[in-house]
Amino acid sequence: MTDVINDTLQDQSAKEAYFTASQGQLIWARFKKQRAALIAAIVLFVLILSGVFAPFLSPYDPTIAGRDKDYTNGAPQIPQFCDVNGCSPRPFIHAVKRERSMATNFRWVTTIDEDTRLYMKFFVEGDKYKLFDFIPMDTHLFGVKDGKIHLFGTDEDGQDIFSRTLHAIWTSVKVGTIGVLIAFVLALIIGGISGYYGGWIDGVLQMITDAVRTVPAIPLFMAVAAFMPPEMTAEARFFYISLILGFIGWPTLARRVRTHLLAERNQEYVLAAQLCGAKPGHVIRKHLLPSFTSYIIVDLVISFPYMVLSETALSFIGLGLKDPVSSLGVMLQKATSADVLLNYQWYFIPVIFFIALVMAFVFVGDGLRDAADPYGDVKK
Amino acid sequence: MSRLIDVENLTLKFDTDEGRITAVDNVSFSIEAGEVMGLVGESGSGKSVTAKSLMKLNPRNAIYGEDTKVTLHLEDGPVDVMSLQSPKDMEIVRGGAISLIFQEPMASFAPAISIGDQMVEQLMIHSSFSKAQAKEVSIEMLDRVGISDASSRFGQYAFELSGGMRQRAMIAMALSTKPKLLIADEPTTALDVTIQAQVIDLMKDLVSEFGMGIIFITHDLGVIAQTADTVAVMYLGRIVEKGTVRDVIRRPAHPYTRGLLAALPTLDDIEAPLTPIPGDIPSPLERPPGCVYNTRCQELIGPVCTQKIPEFSQVSADHKAACHLHDPQGGAA
Amino acid sequence: MSDKPLMTAKGLSVHYPLRGGLFGPKPFVRAVENVNVEIAPGSFFGLVGESGSGKTTLGRAMLRAAPISKGDVTFDDGEVAYSLKDLGKKELQDYRKRAQLIFQDPYAALSPRMTVRDIIAEPLEVMGLTNSRAETDERVREIAAKCRLNVEHLRRFPHAFSGGQRQRISIARALVSGPKFIVADESVAALDVSIQADVLNLLKAIQQDMGLTFLFISHDLSVVAHVCDHVAVMYLGRLVETAPTRSLFSEPRHPYTRALLSAIPSLDPDDRGKAQKLEGEIPSPTNPPPGCKFQTRCPYAIDRCRVEEPTLESAGTEHFVSCHRWKELAE
Repeated sequence: MTDVINDTLQDQSAKEAYFTASQGQLIWARFKKQRAALIAAIVLFVLILSGVFAPFLSPYDPTIAGRDKDYTNGAPQIPQFCDVNGCSPRPFIHAVKRERSMATNFRWVTTIDEDTRLYMKFFVEGDKYKLFDFIPMDTHLFGVKDGKIHLFGTDEDGQDIFSRTLHAIWTSVKVGTIGVLIAFVLALIIGGISGYYGGWIDGVLQMITDAVRTVPAIPLFMAVAAFMPPEMTAEARFFYISLILGFIGWPTLARRVRTHLLAERNQEYVLAAQLCGAKPGHVIRKHLLPSFTSYIIVDLVISFPYMVLSETALSFIGLGLKDPVSSLGVMLQKATSADVLLNYQWYFIPVIFFIALVMAFVFVGDGLRDAADPYGDVKK
Repeated sequence: MSRLIDVENLTLKFDTDEGRITAVDNVSFSIEAGEVMGLVGESGSGKSVTAKSLMKLNPRNAIYGEDTKVTLHLEDGPVDVMSLQSPKDMEIVRGGAISLIFQEPMASFAPAISIGDQMVEQLMIHSSFSKAQAKEVSIEMLDRVGISDASSRFGQYAFELSGGMRQRAMIAMALSTKPKLLIADEPTTALDVTIQAQVIDLMKDLVSEFGMGIIFITHDLGVIAQTADTVAVMYLGRIVEKGTVRDVIRRPAHPYTRGLLAALPTLDDIEAPLTPIPGDIPSPLERPPGCVYNTRCQELIGPVCTQKIPEFSQVSADHKAACHLHDPQGGAA
Repeated sequence: MSDKPLMTAKGLSVHYPLRGGLFGPKPFVRAVENVNVEIAPGSFFGLVGESGSGKTTLGRAMLRAAPISKGDVTFDDGEVAYSLKDLGKKELQDYRKRAQLIFQDPYAALSPRMTVRDIIAEPLEVMGLTNSRAETDERVREIAAKCRLNVEHLRRFPHAFSGGQRQRISIARALVSGPKFIVADESVAALDVSIQADVLNLLKAIQQDMGLTFLFISHDLSVVAHVCDHVAVMYLGRLVETAPTRSLFSEPRHPYTRALLSAIPSLDPDDRGKAQKLEGEIPSPTNPPPGCKFQTRCPYAIDRCRVEEPTLESAGTEHFVSCHRWKELAE
């Protein structure tokens, strides 16, 4: 009997929690039920964190400054605990020797020196960097004593692919964020004016939006690339790329903001507020904005991978970011030569991360979209 | 009259985010050819879901009960609807032996195909008519349901018609395949009273002309009184009372039916106060144990109401109610 | 109570411009045309009509939520008198406190993102009627109790409530500013029968309790018959008949009112097919017929009806009808 009472009590409080749950809480509760989206969210979180802390997590500077000139096109080195000489509680890698001589047909040949162990160390001092772009530090999560460790190998210049990958994630997330933000601000202003005022203003703005949508992306990119002077710094180039992505991405978002506003503006509860004498400011702040924040967040998350993809595509065809900057597109570009395909397959490791990043965004976006309408099936 | 359809122990549950919801609970009824059965109930009573189950027209998360049995008696012998699986098999029922009319006819016409073309297409699936014959039959049908100038309306689109005309066209389409059973789901609810009266008249004429059985779903007891021969009153997925329309409306036996009638404003005595049924319809997630109506019932007779699901007991010859008040053993159980 | 009507509409017309018409004069819909009506204080005034009759527009015009094209509506509650056609900003704000609206759809009318407390408190906050949060809470609780809402449930969001409860929240919001005049636009149409009676009784009780005046807009004559004391029937933007409820239902004068009454399905199964059937449908308000607006469907229409538009004439105590032939038909 007491069990029954406990059950009903529990039932009651669970119900009360549901009844007093705000829209955000309902969305979250639904989102949690979607396993794929939840896993994607965790993956995304980890990826973004590793991007944010890339300088700390990566053992070396990703640019030419951090190159290992004795180990170009080097294979990945996997830390191990045991070798022919027995085991050790500390992970280590073997040292390598490179040689180019008559005997090797004047090609570089790498031999692993099984007798020299390079033990891994944690929190080692190394290349200087600025965490979050402003905290000067030189501690790295891991490294090896006397020598270098390249988990994902190195490229033709001897740059550490692991370090570059982490930095590339960060670059992509940054470009995406800036692009999405620019698109979002434009969309909010243009879509907002269009939707709130309607009438001829709406008509003109929609015409402009459609005009922008019809501009083909690739020729535009090429034109802009031609316009950007080659001596432009990496930062400026980076900024311009984000800007272009933002300017191309806004129409779709603007259209959704407008449609949503048009629908929401005519809701009866908005009329109810207006009949109380509420001013437009109150209506926008209390009713219109909250009504679409969830949808906007979903839209932002969904449009993110397109930004990342566009950046990658641009950089890949050589119109976007260029070498000193580590971006996924730049790294992909390097993986295209036959030489790489045949001999240095580890160039492809960043691709896995790139796919994971885009997929995670897509899954999280889809999950959020499904969760964002908690009233979908309550209302009949 | 011959038996048209037998529904036995129809139980239907839905899997939702919030849990498994019982929409229809152990519902049984049968319909004769030419019979108009009214299915009355408020929102959440499961009346539409019940009717759609006869064509297995329910969303994917629907789970039918194990001893659910729906038998359709056709000329070629009985058809066990629950055993039909492929869309091809379902053609016998959907749009063939059974047709459906909805509350909102706009939703059942494709917006970009003319009404006539849709009728022809449907006819050609379910009959051996040639295109020309199908067109002829369609125009005849449109004419029959009172659409003037049918041959020119044939090429029109649903949005070009008024609400009443659209509902007529919908009826014409539903009847053109000569179904044995017509399910009319709130066909007059979205219409104005004067138009509703026209559509009800039309439907009555058509029944006597075509001799099919009709399940008339509505929340409006007045419409039922005007159209139905027999009535089943549903509440929270269960039929609580069934019988001939005169018996049920004049001598309601279940407290819910009585409550509904008392809450209904009528023009016979406009000074009479309206007596609401206390409380709210429970959410489908909180189905009360025992009799489903016990949370609002004014005539509870004891703990039996909250413990035992009442069986049907005979009130009079063609009149049954599922209420412990009418149980021969009374509250003794 | 004074004898002066609370609301008076004089020659009220509401015209909406239509889109299109790039060339030539813009077409417009005459949603409400030349309506004269008086609503006495403390009455429960019913406004009946089919879809497209202009009843909702008339209600909105009385709240200054629809543009008044011609004529005027005046409000006079003994404290202040307003002419709604030319209302200053300050006056309009004050009028909003005195006249409120209850909606039809209990789902669309409540913001899903606000708690019940915030929904009911919104008018107070927007109008600045209370000085502190405590005072607002106090007022919200008081009005919620009046509308038979569980005060414990004020923290909940609308998704926790059924249709009937939501409608009570909607009513509470309309009442919280202490209005004198309430427009209830199809406020029970979306509710189940068993709940509908409950909400109607609540409206009635509140009206008597707080001395309110209601304009009750409905398409359902039987509901109107039970709650209203005075009824006006509209057809295609015109008022065709207005009378005290009892007199309207016992002696309907206008052929349209009669047709409406007989179209209501009777609860008597043996009373089938007796109804007098109305042919055709309500014409479009963009292109109304000449003469009497009802002539296209009226079984008694004569040549005069097709040319000359009838005006409201007295047909008994407080009973007005707009028909050329009402006298003949009454015999």
